[in-house]
Amino acid sequence: MTTMIKMLMVFFKFCSPKRRRQFYGAIVLTVLMGLCEAAKLPAIWYLFENIFGGTFDLQVVLNAFLIMLIPVCLSAVFRYASSMLQVDGGYSTAAEKRIEIAEHLRYVPMGYFNNNSLAYITSVTTNTMEQLADIATRVVMLVTTGLINTLIVVGSLFFFDYRIALVALGGVIAFLLFNEWIKHMGKKFAPQKEKADLAVISATLDYVLGISEIKSYNLFGKYSKRFNEANEKGTKLYTDVELKMIPVQTVQTYITRLIGVCMTIVAIILFISGNNDLATTMTVIIASYIIYSSLDAMGAFNALSKIIERCVEKGNEIMSIETMNISGEDYKTKSSDIEFKNVSFSYDKKKIIDDVSLKIKGNTKVAFVGPSGSGKTTLCHLMARFWDVQDGEVLLDGKNVKDYNIDSLMENFTFVFQNVYLFNDTILNNLRMAKEDATEEEIEKALKLSCCEFVKDLPDGINTVIGEGGSTLSGGEMQRLSIARAILKDSKIVILDEATANVDPENEEKLMKAIDALTKDKTVIMIAHRLKTVKNCDNIFVVDEGKIVESGTHDELMKEDGIYRRFISERKEAVGWKI
Amino acid sequence: MKNRGLMSILFDYAGDKKKYYTFSIITSLISVVSGIVPFYFIADIINKLVAGVTDFNDYTTDIILLLVLFLSKGVFHIASTSLSHIAAYQTIKWVRKRAIDSLAFASLGDVKRHNSGSLKNTLCERIDSTENTLAHVIPEFSGNIIGFLLTLIYLTVICWQMGLIAIIPFVIGMVAYLTMGIGYSKYYNNTIAKTKILNDTAVEYINGIEVIKAFGKSEVSYEKFKKAAIEGSECFVEWQRNCNIAFSIAMSVAPYTLLAILPLGAILYFNNVITLNIFIISIVMSIGLITPLISSMGYLDDIRKAQTIFSEIDEIVSIKRLDRPSVSTVLPADSGVSLKDVSFGYSDKEVLHNINLEIKPGSSVALVGPSGAGKSTIAKLIASLWDPNEGNIYIGGVNIKDLALEDYNKMVSYVSQSNYLFNVSIMENIRMGNLSATDEEVMEVCKKCGVHDFIMNLENGYDTIVGDAGSHISGGERQRISIARAMMKDSKIVILDEATAYTDPENEAIIQKALSSLVKDKTVIVIAHRLSTIINSDDIILVNDGRIEAHGKHEELLNKSELYKNMWLSHIEGRDGDYND
Repeated sequence: MTTMIKMLMVFFKFCSPKRRRQFYGAIVLTVLMGLCEAAKLPAIWYLFENIFGGTFDLQVVLNAFLIMLIPVCLSAVFRYASSMLQVDGGYSTAAEKRIEIAEHLRYVPMGYFNNNSLAYITSVTTNTMEQLADIATRVVMLVTTGLINTLIVVGSLFFFDYRIALVALGGVIAFLLFNEWIKHMGKKFAPQKEKADLAVISATLDYVLGISEIKSYNLFGKYSKRFNEANEKGTKLYTDVELKMIPVQTVQTYITRLIGVCMTIVAIILFISGNNDLATTMTVIIASYIIYSSLDAMGAFNALSKIIERCVEKGNEIMSIETMNISGEDYKTKSSDIEFKNVSFSYDKKKIIDDVSLKIKGNTKVAFVGPSGSGKTTLCHLMARFWDVQDGEVLLDGKNVKDYNIDSLMENFTFVFQNVYLFNDTILNNLRMAKEDATEEEIEKALKLSCCEFVKDLPDGINTVIGEGGSTLSGGEMQRLSIARAILKDSKIVILDEATANVDPENEEKLMKAIDALTKDKTVIMIAHRLKTVKNCDNIFVVDEGKIVESGTHDELMKEDGIYRRFISERKEAVGWKI
Repeated sequence: MKNRGLMSILFDYAGDKKKYYTFSIITSLISVVSGIVPFYFIADIINKLVAGVTDFNDYTTDIILLLVLFLSKGVFHIASTSLSHIAAYQTIKWVRKRAIDSLAFASLGDVKRHNSGSLKNTLCERIDSTENTLAHVIPEFSGNIIGFLLTLIYLTVICWQMGLIAIIPFVIGMVAYLTMGIGYSKYYNNTIAKTKILNDTAVEYINGIEVIKAFGKSEVSYEKFKKAAIEGSECFVEWQRNCNIAFSIAMSVAPYTLLAILPLGAILYFNNVITLNIFIISIVMSIGLITPLISSMGYLDDIRKAQTIFSEIDEIVSIKRLDRPSVSTVLPADSGVSLKDVSFGYSDKEVLHNINLEIKPGSSVALVGPSGAGKSTIAKLIASLWDPNEGNIYIGGVNIKDLALEDYNKMVSYVSQSNYLFNVSIMENIRMGNLSATDEEVMEVCKKCGVHDFIMNLENGYDTIVGDAGSHISGGERQRISIARAMMKDSKIVILDEATAYTDPENEAIIQKALSSLVKDKTVIVIAHRLSTIINSDDIILVNDGRIEAHGKHEELLNKSELYKNMWLSHIEGRDGDYND
């Protein structure tokens, strides 16, 4: 019961006040429903009272029928009202949470997003919330009805005979105590079960994911053995735990029946001793069958409350992702000068950028060069405020990037290969994202510059709908379309990561042409790997362990015996490599 | 695959624990009967009460028998539930084992065609989720329904009119319930459509969030999502608003047997058709009559879910086995590879047509061609991921179908971009190439292919556990470890399937070095995305449209093939042309 209440509290706290009120309303209606259904006891008593009192006629039958019929009609109405409140509350909660998450994401630093985090957020927003809605629409009624109905019947017994009512109440208490005990047992076994679960999952996972390696290295013996052991061990443990739990669970169910028999015995004794009349005695015996029928259901919802808790937890987890203040000034930049002043940035307590100061003049081309993990990508991210820096400041056109509102900051930047994402919409609409009022000529020009001649050959040309995630187009085509989009955006600064530009040879040439068109007359900041591009840069920053260790032009840097020269010779080797 | 009946599934997978299910049903029935016989003693008590018997001793036999029967109901319930749980867990164990075994014997290509995430999901979570159904359905479902029937029969035997009356509310409730079906498909389809829109919008909004922000479209996209979220929930509420009336009536009326028993029974009693005692015992018997039936209906949904899961399992279990002998009759004479009249298609569509290919032992061969030409498929057939539909592949003169998997795998290494590392130490991962290697031998190989230094730089060196969150092993480093593992195996034939594609450029040079030492003195079959890396190959095979269009050395092909020449020119154009300066 404590778990049940805890679960409801956690869930109610998760809901908006309006939905919470709906669920409270549903509980009140459930109580009214229970009261209506308990009307059968007075009806039975009334009938027997008249039968045994000798005043039995058809009018009595009609009255007894009405005593039940009117409440049953009301009960149907209450049930409808209550379940509608829950349905509305449940589905609306899911909708509201989805919207809240979407709203929240607008303020989450861009740097937070990667394939994993996006997949997780998507799954919570769709599947988890769907599951939550489905359960939330019935869980309140399911967990409360049993207990409420039972307590109402027990309460109404006090009108007949307090001694029997006390016995019945004892049954309810015994049931709840057993319920606690079962929970306790469950908790006690939980760590063991979790460990066994984990062993089975990891053995299965290795088997499934590593099947190529298992086959090619003949590792069947080892991995089959490991899997079989985990599987056997898990099965044995689950079975053992279950065999310990079942007797207790059964006792929990049957203790109520036993109390039912006790009620019958007490009723007989009270009848014999002349304390109760026959009508009351009969009503009580019948009541002993009614009383616990709805209580049994109560124990069965532990699984549901666990699911609810997990759903709520996942939702809260996403809402707790830190956000940043993006409501700065609307500001049109005059130049695209960028400056870092003593910038430091850490992520997960790991220092990634360490006291970096640098200047990039507008309309120049600069390159970041350095080993992987040195911080090149993060430097680019900080310019466009994917993260907020912890120390120092990042200036664009002499103004701290934090003082821009996010849209007017983003206006200045184009990222190539950051995330080639095209929407499940027509090519035209995808391009229009960058410039809503783009003319036909402009769009045509952008497509031509980015080597997207394939668009003409598509069945619907520019009105072709791109499949989900762009699946109907090849990777290279999608890359070029995203460049066409970037060309239309015509931002002052282009940030380019060559590492992700690995494409098949047929596409390479076109892609390079498209990039050339995009970066013409722009401030270009690139994470460079190709000698050709690096050589043409106005300035090269060599990054190592979060610091700028060298900077200058290619020729200047080649004169020094530093990281850059080593790096270049390694690249030459890689490009010239032959099997 | 069609959903099978749950019982047929259970008996199929329960293995030698089938009899547990049988006993579970038997004990469940005994438990049910133990719950029904007490009505006889209750009736007796009622008789005595109505007759005004006031000596408690007259009631003791009834009461003791009541208690004994309740006890027996409980004990048999425990027995039945325990048996069914044992059987359920055994079934799950066997299901998992059979699925895993099936993966072991299937062709790798067929396994890889299943998404590994969903395979894992099916084999772990989804199988586990059937436990409740498997363990409870048999005793409870059968117990509930048989309990209902037996009680109803008993009641009907006592008094047939009361038996009929008892089910009137249930029938009325069910009629109301069935009216719920009116308009069902309309509402159902509406919710499906709206949910799909919602999910699509969510996927786009979230996965496209970077693009949305970069183009300043947050507001527009957010409003679109908001609309989809609200509509996605309103459609369900609207549906419920319509069908919930019938459902509420059904749920209020159906179990309420007293609604009919009390007035109609009273009329029968008034007209002397039945005695007071029968009237009262009918009331008692009817009270719990319907509830178990309704809870059984709830199981139907669980059963359907379990059937769906088992049909997924059936699909895994029935993956075709790769036909290989357990012991090879002849062993390959050398490390030459030849393909004779090989044709292959994944489903209906043939992608390789009549391929003939001869690869000399110890030579290096490159497969090149436009994307989609079939070069990777040829490599995968040689790597035995699939068997050809027609024709045969020979290694050292022996048909690979006549080679035991073990012998075949000793001969061939297949290195692609995505090699799996197990969640154990780096040392153990590399040792998998040769289980009998000592630590020193492992390190020796690592030094040779240039991974020793980076491993030693890790906090725990060779003992670093690969999968640990803190181990920070990058994609490139993973690949180098897997190359070291392949070297450890020291097989005579090495297939490199775009092994350096998509690695980050900083790592490329190092990985290339590692590969060079791997392929020394071996028969090498390579697919590379950079033509310049393979121009020194002994033989370059140009694949186009599922056929071998030409082959020869680099210079030969440049003269011989227009396609190759174009590919080469395009490659030269795109790549760093000035690497020589």
